[in-house]
Amino acid sequence: MLNFSRFLVLLLLLASVQVMADKPRRIVSIGLCTDQLLLMLADPGQIASVSVWATDRNMSYMIDSVGDIPLNHASIEEIISFEPDLVLASEFVAWDTVSFLRKLGYPVRQVPVVTSVDQIYELLERFGAWTGQPQRARQLVFQMRARLAEIEARYAARPARSVIIYSPNGFTIGADTLEHDLFVRAGYRNLAAEMGISGFQAISLERLVAADPDVLQIDRGLSRQTSLATATLSHPVLEKLIRHRQNLEIPTRLRICAGPMIIDAIEMMAARR
Amino acid sequence: MIQMPVDARLLTAVLLLALLAMFVLVLNIGAVDIELGQAIGDAWRQETSIESLILFDIRLPRALLAALVGATLGLAGAALQGLLRNPLAEPGIIGVSNGAALGAVIVFYYGLAGFAWFMLPLAGLLGALLAVLVIFLLVGQSRSTITLILAGIAINAIGGALIALALNFAASPYAMQEILFWLLGSVANRSFNEVHIALPFMLLGWGMMLYCGRFLNALTLGEETASSLGFDVPRMRLVLILGVAASVGAAVSVAGNIGFIGLVVPHLVRPLVAYEPRRLLLASGLAGAILLLLADVAVQSLSATTEMKLGVITALVGAPFFLLLILRSRNTLQ
Repeated sequence: MLNFSRFLVLLLLLASVQVMADKPRRIVSIGLCTDQLLLMLADPGQIASVSVWATDRNMSYMIDSVGDIPLNHASIEEIISFEPDLVLASEFVAWDTVSFLRKLGYPVRQVPVVTSVDQIYELLERFGAWTGQPQRARQLVFQMRARLAEIEARYAARPARSVIIYSPNGFTIGADTLEHDLFVRAGYRNLAAEMGISGFQAISLERLVAADPDVLQIDRGLSRQTSLATATLSHPVLEKLIRHRQNLEIPTRLRICAGPMIIDAIEMMAARR
Repeated sequence: MIQMPVDARLLTAVLLLALLAMFVLVLNIGAVDIELGQAIGDAWRQETSIESLILFDIRLPRALLAALVGATLGLAGAALQGLLRNPLAEPGIIGVSNGAALGAVIVFYYGLAGFAWFMLPLAGLLGALLAVLVIFLLVGQSRSTITLILAGIAINAIGGALIALALNFAASPYAMQEILFWLLGSVANRSFNEVHIALPFMLLGWGMMLYCGRFLNALTLGEETASSLGFDVPRMRLVLILGVAASVGAAVSVAGNIGFIGLVVPHLVRPLVAYEPRRLLLASGLAGAILLLLADVAVQSLSATTEMKLGVITALVGAPFFLLLILRSRNTLQ
């Protein structure tokens, strides 16, 4: 009996060594959001390639960690040239690439769309398990929770203010989105959600003006190139509205992806309340 | 249809009144309900209220632009029908509007509009001018409707393809989906900025077209008669073409290509002005403004969250009318 339990312990030990050895060593990420989580959690030696978007100064929070890691453009040929043992992609992005990779037998993990900070915690833990870094992921979640609690306590005394976000083509962001959760945690009332909007929806300039927000967050989008979509954001009525309200601009790299950087966005918003 | 000519001053007065009524109606329509009286009162006291912002910064420029563009298209339709002596001539059908849209697209998406306020309408003018000159070379003195329509189809196809090409290579990721605006037209989200840049070119074009009224009257009797009546035919023709290009070019550069207004309006108005091309010009301008305001009312009341384009409404109403005209003139087509 004693022998058997010894044997069992030995087996478990071996298994755990086996798991350690199974930690992926040639991970390829093909999108901005998976790039950043990978750069935060994995050892540099585990990363075979990240996407070119990881080096975009405007969008990437982890730009300084990229170093000399090879870049990819999310094309099949590039990806398989790295002989990856794990490919990371976002759900609903490059689905054709992903299904092709699966057909070729490469292991692919997809990050789901996240609609709250709590889901980011779950995502980080899952990401930690995929990349063989559960300890680091747990630590990151712990730090995020602590910072968030500290920020909420620091600004709790300030009154809630109303906010609305307006982006190219007149789109605003309502309930059931990460952006909405960020507003709520930073102490704002999201007027788009109060209008009954859930997810992303276009609203007319008139409805935006009539909503009369305390704070207006104009999202000029990823592109500064001229288009009618972005021209709407320069409509004189918005300039006038901003003159009488507060304008809140949050850098794109802090809010475009789900990850620990959104705590920075929440802090910026709460500080402006 | 009323077949009786109406006294010129009476007709102008009635059209002006209708235009004013239509304008006030449009100002009352929008995504939210506001009290116009309150908005005007707030503006009078120089208070910036939600109501005054919505009325004076959103609805007023939009309604003004719709009226100006409608007037331009009605006037240009009447002028082109007179010049080409063809009942189916219209800026949209013969490709002038697409030419203007192409010029505007190139300037707008490639960062050239920032050099000077007049860059956008000027590009529209040049594009429209190019199309109108090609039409004139192709159709020339032949009054054949079929040649005109075929030439229009070809110019429209080339213009549409070049617009798509220019948008494809534009740097903005939004450019390609905005082809709908350029091909179907809209006055949504337009401001006084657009009114300011388009108005000088429109006024200039209107003046040039109205100046040619008597020449168009004479032209109904043929070019030789017109020239024997003392008109410098090539010069007058050039003035007309430049007038069409300047006003349509400016209109399209800020509101896209809104079809069929220029076709339908002169036909509706013609019986009221005793089929006289000179009188047709002013009356078509006024009626065009009324009709486009009406189309904008329809767009705003029918649309759900994403607004439909003006050209959808004008085509739904205008295209069957176009078919009717073709059926009527079938004998001359063969």
